[in-house]
Amino acid sequence: MREQLPIVIILGPLLGAVLAAFTGWFRPKLSHPLVVVGLAISFAAALKLVFIVAAVGAQEYWLGGWGTKPGHGVVGIQITVDHLNTLLLAAVSGIALLTALYTKRLVDTELAGRQRYFYALFSLLVTGLLGITITGDIFNLYVFMEIAALSSYALIAYGRGRAYMAAFNYLIMGTMGACLYLLGVGFVFAKTGTLNIDDVSAIVPALGQSQALFVGFVLILLGAWAKMAFFPFHGWLPNAYAHAPTASAALLAPLATKVAVYTMLRVMVTVYSIDYINHSPGIQSAVLYLSSIAIVVASFFSLTQTNLKKLASYIVLSEIGYMVGGAWLANKPGLTGAMVHVVADAAMTSALFMAIGCIVYRLGQAQLDDLKGVFFKMPVTMAAFVVTMAALIGVPPTCGFFSKWYLIQGAAQAGVWHFVVALLLSSLVKAIILFRIIEIGYNRVPHPAIEGNPAIPRNEAPLSMLIPTVAMALGLIALGLGTSTLVNTIITKALPAALTP
Amino acid sequence: MENLMANFNYVIVVVLMMIGLWSMLAQKNLIKKCIGMAIFQTGIILFFISIGAKDNALVPILAEAANHTYAVPDVAKIANPLTQILMLTAIVVGVATLGVGLALAQKIYQQHSSFDEDEILENQRK
Amino acid sequence: MSALPIWQFDVLLLMLVLLFAVVALSIRNLMGAAVVFGAYSFMMCLIWAGMGAVDVAFTEAAVGAGVSTVFVVSTLYNTGATVQRRPGGLAFKLFIGVVVTLAGMFLLTALPDFPKWGDPNSPVNATVAPYYILNTISDSHVPNVVTSVLADYRGFDTLLETTVVFIACIAIYSILRVDKAKLETDEPVVVAAPRYDPSDSLIVRQASRFMVPFMQLFALYVIAHGHYSPGGGFQGGVILGASLILLAISFDLKFLLRQWSEKTLMLLVAAGVLLYAAVGLACVFMGGDYLDYGYLDSVLPGERDMARSHGILLVEIGVGITVMFSMIAIHINLASNGRFDRGL
Repeated sequence: MREQLPIVIILGPLLGAVLAAFTGWFRPKLSHPLVVVGLAISFAAALKLVFIVAAVGAQEYWLGGWGTKPGHGVVGIQITVDHLNTLLLAAVSGIALLTALYTKRLVDTELAGRQRYFYALFSLLVTGLLGITITGDIFNLYVFMEIAALSSYALIAYGRGRAYMAAFNYLIMGTMGACLYLLGVGFVFAKTGTLNIDDVSAIVPALGQSQALFVGFVLILLGAWAKMAFFPFHGWLPNAYAHAPTASAALLAPLATKVAVYTMLRVMVTVYSIDYINHSPGIQSAVLYLSSIAIVVASFFSLTQTNLKKLASYIVLSEIGYMVGGAWLANKPGLTGAMVHVVADAAMTSALFMAIGCIVYRLGQAQLDDLKGVFFKMPVTMAAFVVTMAALIGVPPTCGFFSKWYLIQGAAQAGVWHFVVALLLSSLVKAIILFRIIEIGYNRVPHPAIEGNPAIPRNEAPLSMLIPTVAMALGLIALGLGTSTLVNTIITKALPAALTP
Repeated sequence: MENLMANFNYVIVVVLMMIGLWSMLAQKNLIKKCIGMAIFQTGIILFFISIGAKDNALVPILAEAANHTYAVPDVAKIANPLTQILMLTAIVVGVATLGVGLALAQKIYQQHSSFDEDEILENQRK
Repeated sequence: MSALPIWQFDVLLLMLVLLFAVVALSIRNLMGAAVVFGAYSFMMCLIWAGMGAVDVAFTEAAVGAGVSTVFVVSTLYNTGATVQRRPGGLAFKLFIGVVVTLAGMFLLTALPDFPKWGDPNSPVNATVAPYYILNTISDSHVPNVVTSVLADYRGFDTLLETTVVFIACIAIYSILRVDKAKLETDEPVVVAAPRYDPSDSLIVRQASRFMVPFMQLFALYVIAHGHYSPGGGFQGGVILGASLILLAISFDLKFLLRQWSEKTLMLLVAAGVLLYAAVGLACVFMGGDYLDYGYLDSVLPGERDMARSHGILLVEIGVGITVMFSMIAIHINLASNGRFDRGL
C-alpha cells in the first residue's frame, strides 16, 4: 500500500470529480461529500508521504510499471515525491480540503441553481494542481497544466457579468503560457531525446552551452511566468480573481500561481541545475530587476484599490515577485526563502481570501468604505484578518516573517539591494493598508448591512465559513513556529549540493 | 538541398507560430483570437513532428511477416512514434481549449452584442 | 526529410498552410475565416501524413479540421455575427508585431544547434523511441506502435487527455447552459433567425440518413482496429460524435435530443473517464501499479502480452465513449446558445 501512495494523491480528487459529475444528475447533495472525501484521501496520502520522505528520501512511482530500461532511460511516465514538492503537495491538498468545506455555504447561496458541476470542476482543478506538483515528466506537466487551466476558466466564469471577459482574457494569456511551455519542452526534447525530468537533468550538463537548450529554458520560463502572473504577464489576474465568485477565488488565488512558481523552481533546480543559472548572470540580474519592479508596482496598485478583492489580488501579485526574486538569487538563503514562501504564501493567501469572503458574504459589497464598524460586528473574522495581514507584513512568529527573513538574508548576501528595498517597501504598504482598515473598521457607526438587528451584538459569518478561516489563520502561526523544523528536515535537502551557502 | 529544405521548413514553422501568437495578442475580435490560438498550437505541433522526422521513414505500424509473426523492425526506417503521441495529446487539448474559448466568446456576445474587445470594454464601463 | 520523395510537394503545402493562416486571420467575414481555418487544418493534416505521422493526421482531420470548424461555425451561426468591425489601434498592433518578430528571431537562433534534419540517430530518435518500436510486439502484441505508446507506455497521459475533453464538456455546459424557464434579465437573448434551414431540404435529410450508419460502422472499426491500423479511441470517438452532429445539423436539434437526452449525454461523458480510471484501479487491486494492464491477465484472456492488448482496447473504448458524447454535447451547447431548443 505504501508504494501506491503517490498515485492515491492524484486519484482521490480525480475519482471524486468524476463521481460528483455523476451524482450531479441523480443526487446533487452527494457531490460535495464525494469531493470532500476525495480531497481528504489525497491529503492523508500527501501528509503520510511528507513523513516518509523526511525519513527515507524521495519516492518514485512509474505508471504502468514502465520504469528504467537499460540503454533507453525511463520509458514510461514517472511521478516523484521528493524534498522539493512534498510540502507543497500536502499544502495544496490541505488548503483545497479546507476550502471545500468553506465554500459549501457560498455555493448554496451565490450559485444556487447552477451548481451541478461546480464541485466536479473544483476537484478537477485540484487534480491538475497536484499533478503538476507531483509529476516527473515534462510533457505530463503540460497536460496537467491544461487540466488545471480549463477548470479554472470555468470556475471563474461562474461569476457571470464581467467574469466572462475576465475568463476569456485569462484563457488567452494562460494558453499562450502553456503553448510557450510546450514549445520549450520541444526544444529540450530535441536535444535530449527524453521527457523524464531525472534523465534530462543527467543529460543537460553534458550538452554545455547549447543555444537550443537556452532557448528552451527561456520559453519554459516565459510560460511559467504567464501562468503565475509575473510582471509583465500580470494583466489577467486582478480582473479574474475579483470577478470570480468567492468560492472560486478562495481556491484559485492561493494555489494556482504557487504551483506555477513550483514549476519554475523545478525546472531551475532539477532540470537545468543551479550551475546553469549561475552561468547566465545577465538573465539573473534582469529577472531580479523585474521581480523588484513587480513587487513595487503591485504594492503601489494595491494601495489605490477600494475593492477588497482587487486589493487582495494585487497583494498576491506582489508576493509572486518575492518568490521569483528569491529563486533567482540562486543562493542558499534565497532559494530556501523562495521554497518556504511558496507554502507560506499559499496559506496566507488562502486565509486572506477566506476572511474577505466572510466579510463579503455578510455585506454583499466589497468596497473598503463598507467596512465601517466591522470590527464590532464581526470580531472573529477581523481577528483572523488581522493575523493574516500581520503574516503578510512579516510579523513574527507568523510564517511570513521567516520566509521574508530568508529572502532578505539571501538578497543582502548577493548584494542585490534593490530587492531588499522592494521587500521592505511592500511590507510598509501592507502595514498602511492594515492600519487603514483598522481605522475604518473601528468607526463607531457601522454600515447598515452589518448593523442587522441592533439587539444582536454580533453578525458573524456562518460557522461553516468561520471555522476554516480561523483554522487557516491559526495555521499561519503554527507554520511559522514550525518553519525551522521544516527547513532543517526537508527544505535544505531539496537544495542542490553545489550551492553557494 | 536537404539542408536548405530543412531550414526552410523550420523557418516557416516559426513564422506560422508567430503569426498565431500575434493574432492572439493584437487582434481585437474574440473569434480571431481563438483562431489565432489554434494556429499557434498547430504550428507547435508541426514543429514537434518535424523534429521527430526521419529520412524515407515508414509509418510506425509494424508489418506482419509470415504466420502472424513480426520481423525485428529496422528502427532507422520507422517514423518516430513518441513525437506523434505527444502531438495527438496536444491536438485534443487544443480543440478542448478552443471549445471553451468559443463558449466564453458566445456568452460575451450575448451580453454585449459584439465580438470586438474595444466595444465590449466601452460597454462595460457604462 | 520525409516519406514523400518529392520535396516540391512539401514546399507547396507549407506555402499553402502559411497562406491560409494569413487569410484566415485577416479576412473580415467571420464565417469565411472559419471555413479557411478548416482548409488550413486540412493542409496541415496532409503535411503530417507526408511526414509519416498518419495517426496524427487522422486525428487532425477528424478533430482539427472537422470538429473545430463545426464548433466555430455553430458559434457564429447562432450569434448572427458575420463581419468584424473596422479594425483600429494600429500602434498597439505594431508594438505586438515588433515583440513577436523579436521572439521569432530568438527562436531562430537555435537553428544551427539542432541535430541534422531527418537524422535517425538524433537524440529524439535514438534515446527512448527505439524501445517502443523494438518491444511493442513482445510487450503487448500491438503492431501499431502509436497505439501501444498512447495507451500503454504513456497511458497516464491519455487518461489525463480524456479528462481534458471531459472538463471541456462540463465547462462549456456550465458556461452556456441556461434553463429557458429561468432566463435572467441581465443577459439579453440574442437569437438570429436562421436564413436557411437545412431541414427543409429532402436531399439533405435523406442523404444524411443514409450516411449515418456507415459513419458509425466505420468509427467502430477505427476503434476496434486501432491496434493494427491507424486509428484508436480518439479518432473513432470523434467520427461517432460527428455522425450524430450530422443528424442534428440536417434534421433538427430536437430530433437528436429525442434520441439522446441531455441527461444521457452528460452521464456518458463521465462514464468513459470512469471506465479508463477504473481499469487502472483494477490493475492496482490485482497487485500491480496503476495502469499496469499485465496484472489483469487473470481476468482477461491470454498471457501478459495479450492481457495488455485487451487492456489497451478497454481504455480505448473508454476514450471513445467520452470523446463521442463530449463532441455532441459541446456542439449542442454552442449551437443552441445553451438553451437546447433549436440551432444549427
